[in-house]
Amino acid sequence: MGIEHAMSLSCLLMGFAFMLQSLEHLRGQARCAIVFFPRLLLSIGLMLAWQQPQWWSYLLSGLVITSLAMLWRYQGPYNGGSDRMGHLLLFSLCLATFLPAGKWQDLVLGYFSIQLILSYFIAGWVKLVNAQWRNGQALQDVFMFSAYPANESLRSWQFSMQLLRLASWMVMLLELAFPLALLSQQLLMLALSLTALFHLSNACFFGFNRFFWIWVSSYPLMFWFQERFILGS
Amino acid sequence: MSFLKLLLPVVVPSWRFFDFISASPRVEFRASTGDQLPDEWRLLSCRPERLSWVQYLRALIWNPRWNDELFLVSCAERLLDKPTPHSEAEISTRILRYLHSESGDQQGDHFHYQFRIMLVSRVDKAIHQQQAYLSPMKSSSAS
Repeated sequence: MGIEHAMSLSCLLMGFAFMLQSLEHLRGQARCAIVFFPRLLLSIGLMLAWQQPQWWSYLLSGLVITSLAMLWRYQGPYNGGSDRMGHLLLFSLCLATFLPAGKWQDLVLGYFSIQLILSYFIAGWVKLVNAQWRNGQALQDVFMFSAYPANESLRSWQFSMQLLRLASWMVMLLELAFPLALLSQQLLMLALSLTALFHLSNACFFGFNRFFWIWVSSYPLMFWFQERFILGS
Repeated sequence: MSFLKLLLPVVVPSWRFFDFISASPRVEFRASTGDQLPDEWRLLSCRPERLSWVQYLRALIWNPRWNDELFLVSCAERLLDKPTPHSEAEISTRILRYLHSESGDQQGDHFHYQFRIMLVSRVDKAIHQQQAYLSPMKSSSAS
C-alpha cells in the first residue's frame, strides 16, 4: 500500500472517529461547543476530502488546533489511551502533509507505526511479567471491582476463573506476537483482524468504543509500514 | 499543568495498559437544598444493571454518558494523585449537573454538597472500600 493511499484511508477512518467523538461532546456540553463544533466540521471535511490530498494540510491543521484545545480543556486526554492514540495519529498525519515525500514522511509515519506496534507489544509485556495476569487474577479483579465493566451484570464474569485465565493468555499472546505479524501480509491481515476483534470486545465489555475506531483508523499505515520497511516493496 | 507536560505524553506515549489492577475510585456525594447535609452518601455513576444487544451495538457508535463516566474516573484518579482545582471542578460540575437534572430545574435550585472518593479494592476474596478523599463543603452558587 502506497503512502498516499494509506494516509487517505487513515484520514477517512480518523475523520469518522473524530466525528463520532465530537457529536458525543456536543451533547449537552455547551461549554465545549467552541472546540467540538469546529472539530465536527473539520472531521466531516476530512472524510469528504479523503481522496483529495490538497485539502489535508488545512483540515488536519485545524484538527490539530482543536486537539490542543482539548488537551488544555481537559488537562490531558479526555478518554485516556484512545485520545493519546488519536492525537498522535492526527499529529503524525498532519506533519506528514507538510513534509516532502520520501525520507521525511517515512520518518514521521514510521515513528507513528512503531508506536502502534509498541501499543500492543508493551501492553502485552507489562501483563506477562505480572503474575496476576498470568493466573487470571487481574482480569477477575477488573470484573470484580474496577470501574470499567459497562454494566453490573458483567461483574458475574468474575466467577468464571478458567475462562478469565484463558482470555488473559489470549490477550497477552496476541499483543506480544503482534510485531511478528509484520513478516507477511497474510499474517498482518490476520493479526489486525484479531486486534480489531479485541478492541471490539473491549468496546462491549468496558464501553471503550473510542479505542476501537481510533486503532482501526491507524491500521492502513501498518500495511504501508510493512511494505516500506519490512517486505521491502 | 504546563502545555509541554500535556503534550509530551501524546508525542511519546506510555502503552502500559492495565499493567496492574489498582484500587478503583468511586465518586460519592451528598447534597441538600438546605444547610444541613444528609448522612447518606450517593454514588455518582450511570452504570446500568444490564444492556441489551441493541444497546451494546449502539454504544459502539454512541456512548457519551459512559465516556464521560470514564473521564470522571480519570478526574478522581488525578485528584488522588495530585489534587488540582481542575479535577475538583470537573467532578463538582458533574454532581451539579446530576442534581439539577434530578430536581428538574436547570438553574434555580441552590445546593449545598460535598463529595468523597472511595477506593474499592479486593482484600483476599472480599471487596474493601476506603475513603481516600473528602472535599470541603460546597455550594452551587459558588461553583
